Amino acid sequence: MAKAKRGNATSSSKMADNSDKQAEKFSLMLDSSDDEAPEEVTFEDSKTQALRSMKQALDTARREKELLKEKRRKRQELFQEQKKRKLLPADVLEEIDPTEGALNNNTDLFDLSPSCFSLKGNYTVATLEERSMASFQQQAAEDFIQSRLYGPGSCRTTSNELLSLQNKKGWNKSAAVQFVKKDWGKFSRINHGY
Amino acid sequence: MGEFKVHRVRFFDYMPSAIRAMAFNRQSERLAVARADGAVEIFNFSDNYFQEKVIPGQDSRAVEALCWVDQRLFSGGLNGEITEYDLENLKPRYTVAAYGGPIWTISSNNQGTMLALGCEDGTVKMFEVLAEKVQFQRNFDRQKGRIISLSWHPSGTLIAAGMMDMIRVFDAETGHATHRLLVERGVGASKSREVVVWSVAFLSDHTIISGDSAGKVQIWDGVTGTLLRTHLVTKWDVLALSVSQDQSSLVAGTSEGTVIQFQLISSTVGQQDKEWVRTRTFKNHSHDVRALAHTETAVVSGGMDTQLVVRPLLDKVEKNTQESSLRKIVFPHRSLVCCAKKAGLLLFQFPEHLELWRLGESEGHGKPGDSLTVKTKPEKLIQLKRKGEDHICCSALSPCGGWMAYSTVSSVRLYRLQYNNNNIGITKVSRLPKDLCSVHQLCFSSDSSKLFASSSHSSVIVVALNQQECTYLHTLKPKSSSRQPVHLLFASEDGKWLATANTDCEIHIYNLDKLKLHCTVPVYSSYPTAIAIHPLTSNLVVVHADQQIFEYSLEKKEYTEWSRKLQKLGLHSLWLERDTPVTHITFNSRNPAHIILHDMFMFCIIDQSLPLPEAKTLLYNQMTLRSVPEPERIRHSHAFKICKNFQVWSSH
Repeated sequence: MAKAKRGNATSSSKMADNSDKQAEKFSLMLDSSDDEAPEEVTFEDSKTQALRSMKQALDTARREKELLKEKRRKRQELFQEQKKRKLLPADVLEEIDPTEGALNNNTDLFDLSPSCFSLKGNYTVATLEERSMASFQQQAAEDFIQSRLYGPGSCRTTSNELLSLQNKKGWNKSAAVQFVKKDWGKFSRINHGY
Repeated sequence: MGEFKVHRVRFFDYMPSAIRAMAFNRQSERLAVARADGAVEIFNFSDNYFQEKVIPGQDSRAVEALCWVDQRLFSGGLNGEITEYDLENLKPRYTVAAYGGPIWTISSNNQGTMLALGCEDGTVKMFEVLAEKVQFQRNFDRQKGRIISLSWHPSGTLIAAGMMDMIRVFDAETGHATHRLLVERGVGASKSREVVVWSVAFLSDHTIISGDSAGKVQIWDGVTGTLLRTHLVTKWDVLALSVSQDQSSLVAGTSEGTVIQFQLISSTVGQQDKEWVRTRTFKNHSHDVRALAHTETAVVSGGMDTQLVVRPLLDKVEKNTQESSLRKIVFPHRSLVCCAKKAGLLLFQFPEHLELWRLGESEGHGKPGDSLTVKTKPEKLIQLKRKGEDHICCSALSPCGGWMAYSTVSSVRLYRLQYNNNNIGITKVSRLPKDLCSVHQLCFSSDSSKLFASSSHSSVIVVALNQQECTYLHTLKPKSSSRQPVHLLFASEDGKWLATANTDCEIHIYNLDKLKLHCTVPVYSSYPTAIAIHPLTSNLVVVHADQQIFEYSLEKKEYTEWSRKLQKLGLHSLWLERDTPVTHITFNSRNPAHIILHDMFMFCIIDQSLPLPEAKTLLYNQMTLRSVPEPERIRHSHAFKICKNFQVWSSH
């Protein structure tokens, strides 16, 4: 039941008598806890209360934002630290820093061109095959077709299942179909070449 | 003991590739078919549906759509490139990047001046078709979803584009979208998924017809942008649409493998108002139908089950004739198996690798029809993977089994095979003659001393093979100025003659002793599908796509007596009605009167000493002959002895 708020101060006194009478009348029907007249709230009171609650809400929002900022800052710091820890110790970095033009006499050098530098230990340089933008998009497009025609919601089944169901539901019920795999046998002496 | 021992080879795991797109050229009556592995095939519909050209595929070229502009063939693929094909040299002429992401559809206007592309990034791109290339002109207004299908209005002023959940109509001059037609999603579970408009067709009366993934074929008014009629044809996707030339008939292909025909007819006779009514349903496929073409008289469909089906429409052709029968093109119309007779080896050609097998051996004797026990099993000796991205175009094995070669659109590779005891060694021959680059057919001479390779302009390059290397000898050129590729090569057993046939229906004979052109056989209008030269009589035997057989004497340079007799009598009607071409001809060393030939479904021995079958006699009479006692057989026998027990890939 909605709470009734009396906004008009002048009418409240008039209503007071009526409400008392009404309350008496209803007291027989209502519960005993409700035999007092409803509280009278003045307009100013309710206004100040509303403003206070608004301010409180703004305050909590601001506090929450600040807390979030703090959290984020802390997380960022943590990541920086982790990154620093992940990098090689400073002295190793210094040694392989190309801008320094490190030409340590003690180490073996393979190539003395300005853009090359020596690597200590067992390192090899290998270029990764970079898949171009086009092939990523091509793969995405192929995935799209695959998902539309064969993905969830396409109501497809394999021929193995279809034939197995036919076997089990047919007049002469028989076992499920299992296709023979070619590589179950053995091949001797296969040469693979280019 | 029967006359021949048949090695029944069941280890050729040939796996065809799914059909992804097709385009029919009405002027030349040729159908271009694109397969999932990137291969493009050209079928000649006016010559018994013969597969005249095959452009091998490539790893990254995922063709999504094909389009003819006059006699030029273009394709758009998921690699974001437009490719124009060189149909004379059987390779891509060039590729142009469209920079719009994967290309889903490509279509040209009726005038043949512009190509419209539907791209993944939501743009419709216009390319101008110039004499030697295509050039980017402009983009239409970019849309928020991918453009899956396109259709030009016959006037060339409007384009309808099928996208996700909607169809957009563009003004071709300004590039602005004028209408947006919203397509309803499916019911139930499919309501949460976007509906894909897989195909659209724009008719001249401004009707737009669409097929979508919710299984509906919808008819829209393109002027007002309103939905006129919805036909729910399947629970799954409608993947392809094709409209006939006169726009009175439409076919839709579904994921179920059915092809549904709609026709524009008036509901009551005599009335003017016509509407699209569903008429026929064809169920000729077991899997999704992804490509359709509507010709004047037939519906051509292809899809995931890799078969090309031509279904003539019975209201356009005469019933119960050769023309009205259903045709299913399942296997390639060329030989993929090469046999080294002396060594007992077989070479199988797959798109991405080659396999070399040694035939098994049996022992004992038996009556005709018996199965002999296998003493040594057939053995796979080598599996050779091709280098690079291009697929294998052709391959050959020398009769002695010592040389193996294959070619792609970009290179030729030659290998030397060595057998010592139980081991087999393979070494690549490096430094091949420069002229051997784009080769369409390879053939070794019978003594394995020379390799013949067909090249551009119907010429043949001859290279000599010694121990470990090969050297260029000569280029044989025909007198005619044909630019078409040579698709058949045959070197005679005595090493004197080389016969070539090209897709202009020309057959040239070269004298290998003098290394020059000997003669040209009179041109017959149908494509030669198999040629061979008899080892003793030096007669050239040719079988054409329309199943005609000719025998030509190379010494006398004229048709033989037997050939004239055959032409006068005419071939038996059942022979002419066969729907697969003869791919191989060979001869019997023990009986010079025998010509052995086969197509995919039958094996035939023609005995030239026996009378030719008359029109009314039974052609397939092997079974009846067996039941008749010996003395009677001579009376009933005729020259054509046909066996249909096996699917035949090769015979030697």
